[in-house]
Parts: sequence; structure tokens; C-alpha cells
Amino acid sequence: MTELAAMTPVPTAPKRIPTDWKSDLMQRRIRKRYASERRFRFIGLAAVSLSVAFLAFLLITMIGNGARGFTQTDIRLPVNFAQTSLMLDPTALTGPNAEAALAAANIQGATEEAAVAAFGPDGADYISDGAWLSVRAAIRKDPAILGKTVDIAVPASTHIDIAAKNGADPEIRAAYQKLEATGRLSTGFNLNFLTGSNSNDPTLVGIWGAFKGSLLTMIVTLLLAFPIGVLAALYLEEYAPRNRWTDLIEVSINNLAAVPSIIFGLLGLAVFLNVMHLPRSAALVGGLTLALMTMPVIVIAGRNAIKSVPPSIRDAALGIGASPVQVVFHHVLPLALPGILTGTIIGMARALGETAPLLMIGMRAFIPAPPAGITDPATVLPVQIYLWADEVSRGFVEKTSAAIIVLLVFLLSMNGLAIYLRNKFEQRW
Amino acid sequence: MTTNHKMIARDVSVFYGDKKAIDSVSIDVDMENVTAFIGPSGCGKSTFLRTLNRMNDTISIARVEGTIELDGEDIYASGMDVVQLRARVGMVFQKPNPFPKSIYENVAYGPRIHGLAAGKPEMDQVVEKSLRRAGLWDEVKDRLQDSGTALSGGQQQRLCIARAIAVDPEVILMDEPCSALDPIATAKIEELIHELRGRYAIVIVTHNMQQAARVSQRTAFFHLGTLVEYGETSEIFTNPRQEKTKDYITGRYG
Repeated sequence: MTELAAMTPVPTAPKRIPTDWKSDLMQRRIRKRYASERRFRFIGLAAVSLSVAFLAFLLITMIGNGARGFTQTDIRLPVNFAQTSLMLDPTALTGPNAEAALAAANIQGATEEAAVAAFGPDGADYISDGAWLSVRAAIRKDPAILGKTVDIAVPASTHIDIAAKNGADPEIRAAYQKLEATGRLSTGFNLNFLTGSNSNDPTLVGIWGAFKGSLLTMIVTLLLAFPIGVLAALYLEEYAPRNRWTDLIEVSINNLAAVPSIIFGLLGLAVFLNVMHLPRSAALVGGLTLALMTMPVIVIAGRNAIKSVPPSIRDAALGIGASPVQVVFHHVLPLALPGILTGTIIGMARALGETAPLLMIGMRAFIPAPPAGITDPATVLPVQIYLWADEVSRGFVEKTSAAIIVLLVFLLSMNGLAIYLRNKFEQRW
Repeated sequence: MTTNHKMIARDVSVFYGDKKAIDSVSIDVDMENVTAFIGPSGCGKSTFLRTLNRMNDTISIARVEGTIELDGEDIYASGMDVVQLRARVGMVFQKPNPFPKSIYENVAYGPRIHGLAAGKPEMDQVVEKSLRRAGLWDEVKDRLQDSGTALSGGQQQRLCIARAIAVDPEVILMDEPCSALDPIATAKIEELIHELRGRYAIVIVTHNMQQAARVSQRTAFFHLGTLVEYGETSEIFTNPRQEKTKDYITGRYG
């Protein structure tokens, strides 16, 4: 037996061949790894640089063009009221019929006469079509100037304004230089742009009307979409039984978020205007339409935020006898709020930049006065930009860029506020 | 049935959908004893624990059969208020789960929603008493406004116990309360369980047999959804009647 055992070869483990970490194959593999690492980093960097370059290009062109939109060239127009054809009795302007007297007087003609008198036969082309409004304001302020010769600052015409900003054809440049020589030109901050509304004349337009329209529309949208969206998300996540109906609702909401915005405009037109007969081109209808569009975004973001609240927090609250409503409002909602707010920012930013659905409900009308309330005719910033970009007059180019700057500032401050609120509510666990 | 049984479970079966997780378990929980549930993973001990305060209600596919009585009242009866039941039968979870709020708020939350303290001074008292009972007061009394999540794991778990005590429950269910803690923190929790015994009926689920032997007076051994053996802890560990129990506590499987 022992002999036999000795003869049987003892099974040995196959000899272990040590890995040669220094072999050529290995070295090549290492080089390849480093190369792919470098390649990936380069591609990533290139992608980031490209997007930064696009952004920089956008900002530089917008600010370059738009900054000029915030300035306006004025002409100090000497008006000799005694020599103009203006028939206006200063005493009539102190009585109760002052406005009627002003309206009846041909101030426009008198202003043009004064311009011709001061700058020659082409004088009337140098001043803005709305120059007489400044003259009227001056008279209203101090009726005593009637009968005297006074200098009144009036906006220059678009041609002169563009020439003052270095961008006109030679003929107009000559006229500009002639005016410049008189020392009556000055270029300053255009306050009217921030306080006025739409106009046919680019020297007189203002962004305030559209800004206020956007503000009112956004308020209506937020007041509707935020509570409804959050409550819908809470119900679907915390209460709704999991069955075919909730699946159907979920699919519908996801689809709704992807529907092209113009469809929502058609829906708004059909429901809010044709069926409910709400006022056309009002911020109320705009807000309602945009709320329809924003709600699915808030619901989806809200559900994800609610889902990410750890279940242990729900257990903890239920375990000491909190009712389901208390669990939701004391624990789940506060913890989900930062995520919900992020979704709301995205939805609202999209709504603020939306044009198509608002065109459908008539918010592209020419609105020369800011809306007083949500039922007044209004327009919004993106629509205003669209309308101005369509204008023929060259003066609108810089106004369009300036309006874009205003829209971007609005967007940034809205997002800034939301980020501030989100950080304020953010809790760690 | 004798009156000193705080909770009486009779023929309790739990189903998850079609799957039977617990098969006809009958157990009594006493006021003066700590009851331990032991058994291998997946044997249903946690599931059974969660039927005692109806935490299984949150799982929509879970279904419970049989009767469970608290002081002679069927807790699965239609007239039972689940919210009140959970205040009377408190729970401490496996992973410490304080609210992301201050230490004070963590303890005060329960009494506040149940209206157990009128006014701030009374609430201060309740908070102090609960934290003292949980053996945490001396460590946190100077920083009650700090976040509860900033505490160490063992302190968080004692905070969760204080939170459960604050609503003055009759029964405290503990679901592997030490499994996420180091040995020193575990020792503190076990010490605490000793001190709380008698004031509350305590049920503890543990997969640590030494812990069951140390803290409990009565032990239930679960296996594959059935209750194999239930009796005095000393009996179970020294002289088990069932072969399966013996195999488990001697480490043959599990």
C-alpha cells in the first residue's frame, strides 16, 4: 500500500506564472489608457469652451447693440413762441380747460416751424416725430414760456440718433456734423425707454409696458401653476393608489410637458377666449395659458423631489403617530421644496421666454400704454422683441437688443430669487 | 387570558400579495418583560413587529389576518384610530432616523402633534424628561438647538428613543436598534433598555443572539415565517425544546 502511494504522483497546483507588469503589451495598454484619458479631457474642454464662446458672443453682441438702445440723442431746440403760429393764451392754461386748450393748439406744427427756423429747411427731419410731446410738456409745466424764446430739449430723429452713435450714411452724417457744430446735441441716458411703452417711432418707444405685461403674466402663471402642480405631485406620490389610472395620468403628464407650446396657445384661444370669453390679449389669459404649459414641468420635478425624500423620515413620523397629512406637510414637503423650486424655476423661465402661445391669444397687439391690471390688453417682453425685430425703421435694431437685455435681466433676477429661496429652505440630513 | 398581557396576538398571518410572510403566529407581550424576537434573516421577525403598530399599512400589498389586541382592544378593528395606536405603540427603527431638525424639535414634535404639552415651559419639561430617560440629556443639554442629524450614530439612536418616549407610549417596538452602531453605543442602548423595562412593554428584534440573551426576559424564535419557540430567555438559550432552535442558537445555521 505504502509503495503504491509513493508511486502515485502527488497532484501539484499548476505553477503560477507571475504577471509581467513591465511587458511591452502592458506598456502599450498603459499608454493607450493615458491617451484616451487625455482625449476625453480635451473633448470635454472643447465642448465647454465652445458653449462659453457662444454665450460670450451672444452677450457681447447684445450688450454692444443694446447699450446704445438705452441712450438717446437730444436736441436743445430754440423755440420762439412769439414767432410761431401757435395760438395759445397762457391764461387759458391755468383754468380748468387747460387740457382742452393744449389739445386744440397745433403744437406739432409750431415745433416743426421752430426746427426749420433753427436748422434750415431740413430742420423738421432732425427732430423726432414725437418732439412736440416734449414741447407740450414744457408748456404745461410753465405756461409763462409762451411769448418768450426758450430752449427745449427734444429727442432727435432716428437718423440723427444713429449718426450720433456712428452708424449712418454720409448724407445724414453731414447733417449731424452741422448740428453738432451748433453745440445743441447731447446724448444721455434714455429714461423714456424704461418708463414708456410701445410706439411707432423708435425714439419714443419704451419697454415698461411689455415688462409690466410680463410681470403680471408671470404672477398669474405662478399663482396657478405652483400650488396646483405641487398639490398634484404630492397627491400622485403620497396618496394615489398604484393602478392603471395613475399610470395613465403619469404618461399624460409626461406627454403634456413635451407638447409644443403653440398647441397650448390654440388651447388657450379655444377655451379661455372662445368658450369662457375672457378679455383678449390680457395678462390673465396669457398667464392661464402659460400655467397650463408650466404645470406639467412642476409636477414632474415635484414628484422626483418628493420621491428623493428618504422613506426613513416618513417611517419616523408615522412611527410616533403623525397622520399622513402631517407627514406630508411637516416633513416631506419641506425636504422636497428645494427640488420643487428648481423645477419651478425651469418651468417659469421657459414660460417667461415663450412667444408662440401668446401670439395665438392676441398678445401681439400694438399696446401703447402699460396694462393697469391683469384684464387690460398687454404684451410681454419676448413678443415685444419679436415685434420690434420685425420693424422696418433702423432705430428699432438697438431697441430690440436693449429689450433683450431687459428680458435677460428679468430672467436672471427671477432665477436669482428662486435660488436664494431654495438655499434658504435647503436642509441636510 | 390573563390581564397582565399588554398585547396579545392570535393566529396572525401576513401576506405580501400572494406570498405568505408570516404563518399563524400567536404571542403575548408583557409589561414587565422585554421580549426579544430572534431568527435568521428573512424569517419575518421584523414583519411581525411592524404588525404590532400597523406600520405594514404603509405597504399597499400587505394584508394581515388574525387578531392583535392592545389592552383587550383589537387594533385591526375598523374603529381603531391608527394614528393614536402608533402614539401608544411607539417604534425605534434599524437605522437612526432623526428628523433634519434641531434636537429639541425632534423630541417636541410628537407631543406637539398630539397636544400633550400646553405651552413652552411644559414642553421644555417633556423634552428634558424624555432626553433624561433616553440617557442623552447630559450630552446634549447645552446644544438643544443643534441639528439632530449632527449627533453620532449612537446618540442619534438614543434621540430616536427619546422621541418615541416623548409621546408617552405604552409599548416600544425596536427593530434591530443596534445593528448600525458600534459596540460602545450598543452597550449604552442595552443599558437604556434595562432602565426602560417595567415602565414600557418593550419588544426588540435582533439578529444578535447575545444581545437577546442580555436584554430580554422572554424570547421568540422565528423561522421561515413561523414561530418555532417562545418562552423564558434562559430556557430558550440553555434548554431549547425544539431541535431547530437548538441548531440556530448553537450557530449551526442562520
